[in-house]
Amino acid sequence: MRSSVELMAPAGGFDSLQAAIDNGADSVYFGVDQLNMRARATMNFTLGDLEEIAERCQKAGVKTYLTLNTIVYDHDLSIIKTVINRVKESGIDAVIASDQAVIGYAKSQGVDVHISTQLNVTNVETVRFYSLFANVMVLSRELSLRQVKDICDGIKKDNIRGPNGDLVRIEVFGHGALCMAVSGKCYLSLHTSNSSANRGACVQNCRRKYKVIDLEDGHELELDNEYIMSPKDLCTIDFLDQLVDTGISVLKIEGRGRAPEYVATTIKCYREALDSIADGTYSEEKVSDWMARLETVYNRGFWGGYFLGQELGEWTDASGSKATQKKVYLGKGMHYYSKAGIAQFKIEAQQLRKGDKILITGPTTGVVEAEITTMRVDDHEADVATRGSEVTFPLDSIIRSSDKLYKVVPSEEVEN
Amino acid sequence: MVIITHQRDKCIGCNYCVELAYQRWRMSKKDGKATLLGAENKKGFHTVRVDDAEFDDNERAAKACPVNIIQVKMI
Repeated sequence: MRSSVELMAPAGGFDSLQAAIDNGADSVYFGVDQLNMRARATMNFTLGDLEEIAERCQKAGVKTYLTLNTIVYDHDLSIIKTVINRVKESGIDAVIASDQAVIGYAKSQGVDVHISTQLNVTNVETVRFYSLFANVMVLSRELSLRQVKDICDGIKKDNIRGPNGDLVRIEVFGHGALCMAVSGKCYLSLHTSNSSANRGACVQNCRRKYKVIDLEDGHELELDNEYIMSPKDLCTIDFLDQLVDTGISVLKIEGRGRAPEYVATTIKCYREALDSIADGTYSEEKVSDWMARLETVYNRGFWGGYFLGQELGEWTDASGSKATQKKVYLGKGMHYYSKAGIAQFKIEAQQLRKGDKILITGPTTGVVEAEITTMRVDDHEADVATRGSEVTFPLDSIIRSSDKLYKVVPSEEVEN
Repeated sequence: MVIITHQRDKCIGCNYCVELAYQRWRMSKKDGKATLLGAENKKGFHTVRVDDAEFDDNERAAKACPVNIIQVKMI
């Protein structure tokens, strides 16, 4: 049974967008060029991509939301108007906004507004205030389950309705990176690098190692946990039933800066979890299966965030990902023989062996995972395809020349 | 003579260069990125030659740029 909770996926590019669609997302959110919270990401879409995004998603019945949620200066005002006008023309469903200039202009143009995490909605009166402008609001990531439930109950009790006449829909973050500060209120990056997190240009100081130095005697203290400001990633799949019970309408997955296979795996797991809650088959066994799968893609270790009432964060002990699997680049797509169902790739690095687990990503293909059971090099059956060779193997999905081929290996193998 | 170069595509519109070297920079209302006044665009590198007197302000702008896309050279 399909859950009534909307599953919202991050899309940093067409590959992630397709992965989100293919794996059961109800909606996607993404940024264009600047004025979104991932200004540094090279993979943001451009304004010219909006039609294709809207078209691909509409076909699949997936809603589309454009992030336009940074701090806004006077010099940004005309581009904001341009972006919102393009949103309207291209059929994108809503903008995710925090600045009043964006909220006001979008409303004046009849474009739906979602309230961004940058506005830190933490109480029902704030919901009432923004209900004049928005039908959907994401709550601050620092609330407990009880606080989330009180706000959802308050909306029903006070009959707080958005501009479309329906009760305001509450959204929460269900999975992904957490900020060491309350979202939108961190100035570390600005102070150290002139690079404002609130303009989407965070340099992620919190993810680095630090020492504490006693200025009086110069003693340096290295803390047991070296990444004292870097929170583990949020994961709610092990108590998702409780989270759904609070009355939320939208579950948002963080990670526009992450790879397409992260989107594919995470969305698939949360899709299964939400639907199993809906049909009453959510179980511990399933949870451990999902957790194991979620650990295969980018993560800094998991914790339940502040939902379960924890006052202080849990800090990661790794600089980057603790994913149990890594992908290793092998080569690029060449041709797909659709009658025979054979994919052809050019190996540009490393080598492909029989039995390897592979991952194919691309802007149209999205994410495809498979295992090599048989392959041919130069028209001969082969066990190994070395660098420079052209390899063919049977594959159910169509591949394209814009696709990249990776092999998936346990993380230890890459480090050794 | 001073040569200033700006890789405009990578600009994130923080406004520092305008604050620090107003005579040479403006924010574009078209795309919210900084524009190097008088510059010529060659394959994304916007370049202009200016008097020595402009060196200090533009050097400060280059240092403040969070994405390091401004280069100021005295020749």
